[in-house]
Amino acid sequence: METGIRNPAVKIAFYAILLLWSVSVIYPLIWTVLDALKNNEQFFLGAPWSLPKIPLIWDNFSYVWKHYHFDRYFVNSFIITVGSTLLGLILSAMTAYVLARYPFKGSGVLYLLYVSSMMIPFILGLIPLFFLMNSLHLINKPIGVIFVYASSLLAFGIFVLVGFFKSLPKELEEASVIDGASHFGTFFRVMLPLSQPGLITIAIVNVLNIWNEYIVGTILINDPRQYTLPVEIAVMQKEMQYRTEWGPLFAGLLFTIVPVLIVYMVFQRKIASGITAGAVK
Amino acid sequence: MNTRSAKTQRNLFIAAFILPTFLFFCAFTIYPMLQGLYYSLFDWSGMSDHKTFVGLGNFKDMFKDPIVWQAIGNDYFLVVGKVIGIMVLATFFAVALTRFNFKLAGFFRSIFFIPNVISVVVIGVLWNFIYNPQIGFLNAFLSLFTSEKVDIAWLGFTSHTIWMLLPPAIWAGIGFYMILIIASIQNIPDSLYEASELEGAGQWQQFRSLTLPLVWEQIKVSIIHITMTTLNGSFIIVWIMTEGGPDNSTQVMGSYMYQMAFRQFHFGFGAAIGVLILVVSLITTVILQRLMRQEPIELG
Repeated sequence: METGIRNPAVKIAFYAILLLWSVSVIYPLIWTVLDALKNNEQFFLGAPWSLPKIPLIWDNFSYVWKHYHFDRYFVNSFIITVGSTLLGLILSAMTAYVLARYPFKGSGVLYLLYVSSMMIPFILGLIPLFFLMNSLHLINKPIGVIFVYASSLLAFGIFVLVGFFKSLPKELEEASVIDGASHFGTFFRVMLPLSQPGLITIAIVNVLNIWNEYIVGTILINDPRQYTLPVEIAVMQKEMQYRTEWGPLFAGLLFTIVPVLIVYMVFQRKIASGITAGAVK
Repeated sequence: MNTRSAKTQRNLFIAAFILPTFLFFCAFTIYPMLQGLYYSLFDWSGMSDHKTFVGLGNFKDMFKDPIVWQAIGNDYFLVVGKVIGIMVLATFFAVALTRFNFKLAGFFRSIFFIPNVISVVVIGVLWNFIYNPQIGFLNAFLSLFTSEKVDIAWLGFTSHTIWMLLPPAIWAGIGFYMILIIASIQNIPDSLYEASELEGAGQWQQFRSLTLPLVWEQIKVSIIHITMTTLNGSFIIVWIMTEGGPDNSTQVMGSYMYQMAFRQFHFGFGAAIGVLILVVSLITTVILQRLMRQEPIELG
C-alpha cells in the first residue's frame, strides 16, 4: 500500500520539481541534436536555444565522420569495449566459479584481495601503468588498452559472480558429473550458460564504463589513429580554441552519446540491478 | 589410485581457472599500485632509466608546495558540495518516485539516470558550452533579463571557478545514488508504512521516522562512495573543463598529479601525489565511518 500526497498544492510543487529536473537532463541532449545541425554563423548570431535554420547542416555528421576520422574512432572504441568486456568476463567467471564452488587453501584470502582492490584508488597506479605498458610495447596498441580495462573489470565481476554461482543449486553440477562431464565441461556447458543473467548485467555496466572511459585511454594512446571516442572528443574540444567548428563538435558528441543511450534504453533493468549488486558491498 | 587422480584433476582444474586471472590482475592492477608507492621515493623525469632515490623528499616538497594544499582544499570543497547536493536531491527524488504515487514515476526514474550513462568527457564539453562567454547558454539566458548583453567568463575567475564545477558534478551524479536509495526504500516492508498510516502519520513524519532511519545505511554507503570517487576521480571533469586553471585555482590532487607527471615530467613527484590521494582517501573514509556510526536498525 502506498499513499500519495493529499495536499494538491504540494503535489503540484513536487511535480514541478520533477519536471524541471527532467528538462535539465533531456534539454542538453535535444540541444546537442539541434546544435549539430547548425553552421558557425548560427552559433554566433542566434541564441543557443534557437532552432537550426533550414537548410539543416546535415553535412556536419559526414564531415566529422570523415574529416575528423570518427569512423576510425568509433571502430576503435567498439573493438576495445567489446574485447575488454569479453576478456574480463571470461577471466572473472572462471575465478568466481572456483571461488564459489571449489574452496581451497587461500581461496578466502584471494577473494578478499580481489574485492578489497576496489577500495584502492586506481589513480595510484596510473603513472606506473604507463611505464609498464611502455616497456611491454603496448602503448598505442588496442590490445594494451583492452588488457587494462579487462583487469579493471575483474574485482566487480568476481564479486557479483561469486554470489551468483553460490546461488545456483549444487544438484546441477552433481548431475553433470554423474553424466561423466569433466570439471571443464561442467563449467562451460552447464554453469556458464546458467550464469547468463549475471554475466549480462556485468557486461552492460562495463560496456557503458569502458565506452565512456577517458583517462586510461588518453595515457595509453597518443597516436591519433588509435584514439577512442572520448579521447578524440577531448582533443577536438581543445582544438576549438583555434578553429571554430561547433556544429561538427556537437555531431561528434552525438556519435559518442547515442550508442550508450541505446544500450541504456534496451537494458535499463539490468543496469539498475548491476548498480545495486555492486554497491551493496 | 582413482581418487588420487580425481584429486589431481580437481587441482589442475582449480589452477587452470585461478592462475590466468590472478597473473593478469597482478600485472595490470596490483603491480602498478605497488610501483606507484615505489616511484614516489624517486626523483625521476621518466625520460631515462636514471632515477635518483630521494626517500621522502618528494613528500617534503609536496607539503611545501602551495598548489598541493590548494588542490586538497579544492578536493574537499568538491566532496562537501557533491555530498550535500547529490544526497539531498537523490534522496528527495528517490522518496518522491517511490512513496508519493506519482503516475510518471517510472518515466522520471529512467530520465534521471541518463547523465550517468554519458561520458564525463561529453558532460564536460556540454557544460563548457553552457558556460561559454560568447555563445554559451548561461550568458544568453541572463541577457534576456538585462539591457546589455551579459558576457561573463564563468570559468575565468580564480576565486570562483571551482564553484562552477559543482553543478555539472552534481547533475551527473544524482541518478546513480537515486537508484541505490530507491532499491533500499523498496526493501522496507509495506506493513511498516501501513502501521504508521493507521497512527495518522503524514508523509513528512513517515519520511523522518521510517524511511530515513531505514535507508540510513544506504545513505552512509553513498556518502562514502561519493567521497571516494570524488577524491579519486573528480580530476577528469576538472581536466576537461579547466585543466586546473585559471592559475591553479581549480587544481585537484588528481589533475595536479597528471600535470606534474605527464606535462612536466616530474614522475616521482606525480607518484607522490598519487600516494597522497590514497592516504587522504583512506583517512577520510575512516573518519567518515566513525562520524556516521550509528546502531544498525533491525527490521522487526
